[in-house]
Amino acid sequence: MTGSVQAFLAVMKTVVASRLAYRGDVFFSLFVTLLGEAILPMITLLIYKSGASFPGWSLEEAMLVQAVFMLAKGIAYPFFYGMVYNTLDRVREGSFDVLLLKPRSALFMTLVTGFSIDGLGRLVGGAALFIFALSGLPMPSAAEWLGFLLLMCLSACVLFASALFMSGMLFRWVGSSRVYEMNDAATSFGRYPLSIYSKPLQFVLSSVVPVAMISYFPAATLLGRSTPGLYGAAAASVIFLAAGLLFWHYMLRTYTSAGG
Amino acid sequence: MNPIIEVSQLRKSYQTYERGHTLLDSIKSLFHRKPLEIQAVKDISFSVQQGELIGFLGPNGAGKSTTLKILTGVLYPTDGHVSIAGYVPWKQRKPYVARIGAVFGQKSQLLWDIPPLDAFYMNKAIYGLKESDFRGTLDELVELLDVVHVIRKPTRQLSLGERMKCEFIMAMLHRPDIVFLDEPTIGLDVIAKEKIREFIKEMNRKGVTFILTTHDLGDVAELAKRVIVINHGEIIFDDDIAALKRHLGDKKLVKLTMTGDVPAYLGEGVAVLERLSSHEAKLEIDTAIQPLNAFIQMCSQNGVIADMSIEELPIEESIKALYSYNSEQPNNNTNRKDQKHVKIDASAGRKGGNAHSQTSGRSV
Repeated sequence: MTGSVQAFLAVMKTVVASRLAYRGDVFFSLFVTLLGEAILPMITLLIYKSGASFPGWSLEEAMLVQAVFMLAKGIAYPFFYGMVYNTLDRVREGSFDVLLLKPRSALFMTLVTGFSIDGLGRLVGGAALFIFALSGLPMPSAAEWLGFLLLMCLSACVLFASALFMSGMLFRWVGSSRVYEMNDAATSFGRYPLSIYSKPLQFVLSSVVPVAMISYFPAATLLGRSTPGLYGAAAASVIFLAAGLLFWHYMLRTYTSAGG
Repeated sequence: MNPIIEVSQLRKSYQTYERGHTLLDSIKSLFHRKPLEIQAVKDISFSVQQGELIGFLGPNGAGKSTTLKILTGVLYPTDGHVSIAGYVPWKQRKPYVARIGAVFGQKSQLLWDIPPLDAFYMNKAIYGLKESDFRGTLDELVELLDVVHVIRKPTRQLSLGERMKCEFIMAMLHRPDIVFLDEPTIGLDVIAKEKIREFIKEMNRKGVTFILTTHDLGDVAELAKRVIVINHGEIIFDDDIAALKRHLGDKKLVKLTMTGDVPAYLGEGVAVLERLSSHEAKLEIDTAIQPLNAFIQMCSQNGVIADMSIEELPIEESIKALYSYNSEQPNNNTNRKDQKHVKIDASAGRKGGNAHSQTSGRSV
C-alpha cells in the first residue's frame, strides 16, 4: 500500500512537472476553465434576479447545488477524467503498451499518468462558489457536514465510474473524442435540484444512473432538507462504480495495440 | 537446462475492416464495412534458453511485433501457451513485467518535456526499487552508455541516439532477466548504433536474455547467435547465423582481378554479378558445385590472377531470399469473412529446428 502511494505521488510529480513545462498554457487553461464553469451560476443568478426561480429553492440553495456540482467535477477532472484523454491518445497511437509494461495495475497507471492540473480550475471555482452560497445560508450542523462528506465520496464514485465507462469505450471505439460531450450531457442533469424533474426522471437520475448523487444529494443533506430516495441512490452509486470497474477491465482485454 | 521462454502453438487473430481509398468508399464505410479477419500469428512454437540473444526477424506485417507484444504481456493471444520464467505473461502480468525489460524503438517510455533522470526516478517508485540498488544500477548504466551529461536535459532537447540510450536505461533500471527489443537502433547513426550494440553485448555477457526484433541486419549479424524468421505469421527459419548464411547454399562472393581478360565462362556454379572492367569482375560461386581450389585452378589455366578477395555472402541475401520466397505465397494473413482461409505448410517453427522444409537449402 505504501509502495502504491509512493508510486502514485512519484508519477503525479513527474506528470505535473511535465505539464508545467508550458506554464503559459496551464494558466490560460485554468482561467478559461474557471470562466466556463462560472457561466451557469451567472445564468442562475440572472433567473432569480428576473423574479423566476426553481420552485422551492432559494437562490443560495440553488447556487449551493451548482457549487457542489463544480466541486465534484473539480475533483473528477484532475484525478479521474484525465484518464479518458490518456486512453484516447495512447490507444490510438499504440503507446498504451508502455503502461502495460509497468508492474502496477493497468488502471492505476492509466489513472495516475492521466492526472491533469488543468482541471483544478473547476475545484477553485467550485470552492469559491460554495463559500459564497453557504455564506447566505444558516451554518449546517456537524451531522450535516459529516453526511455531506460521506455523500461527496459517493459523488466521486459516480464520476469515477463515468470516467471508467468513457475510458473503457475507447479501447473498442478507438479515437471517439466525443465521449466527454456525451458524458457532460448526461451529467448536466446533476446541476439542478432533483425536484424540478418529473417523478420517473427523478427515479432514473437517482436509482438507475445516479447522476443526482453528484451534487443534489450531498447539497440537500448539507442544507438539512429531506432526501427521499437517498438510500437507493447510494446503493446505485456503489453498483455503478462496480459496473464501471468490470466494464473497464473487460474492455482492456480487447486492446489490440497499434501496428509495430 | 529448462528454457526460460517456451512458446507453443501461439495464435493471434483479430478483426479489422477493409475500406477503399476514394471519397465514395469513405462515405460507404459509414454504413457498411467489409470485415477482415487478420491472422497475425499462426500456431508458432519456439523456445529460448537463458542467456541467449535471439534475432527475431521478418518483413513488415509478418507478425513479429504482435508476437513480441504477446510475450511482453501487452496483448492477449487468441490461443496457445507461453511460459516465460515460469509466468504466463497475460495472466500474471504484474509480477511478470517486473522481471522483464522492453525497448520499443518507436514508443518512448521517457517523458518528452522533462529530463530522463526524472523519468528514471518515476520508474524507481513504480518498480519499488531501493535507493541504494537504484543508484548503483543507474550509475553503472549511465557510465556504460556514456550519458552522464545527457540525463539532466529535457528529453525533447536530446538527439535520437541520446534518447535511445536513455530508453535502455529506463528498461534496465530494475535489472530484468529478459529484455525485448523492438527496433532499438532505428534511425541511429553508426556511432550510436555501435554504442548500443556494445551495451547489449555487455548485458548479454552478464546473463541477460535478449529477444531482438529489427530490420537492421547489422544488428543481427553483430549480436544474434540464433535467428528466428517469421513471415505471414509463421516461423520459416529457426537456427543459428551460420545456418542462415548457408541457407542459400555454400556460396561465396569473389572479386577477381586478372592480368588479362576475365574469361566469359568460369565453369558450373559461378555467376558473374558485375563486370567491373574487362579484367575485373564480381562473382558468386556455389562452392558445393565448384570448390574454391577448382575455381582457382580454372582461373590459372585461363590466365594470371592479379588479385582475388573471397567473402561470405552478406546476411541480407539470405534474408531477402527467405522473405521473397514467402511473399510468392498467396497472402494468407488476411481472411475475408466470406472466404475460406488458405494456409501454407503449418509445420514451421520446429523447436531448435532448421529452416522451413519448403525454404531450406537449395530450394530457395
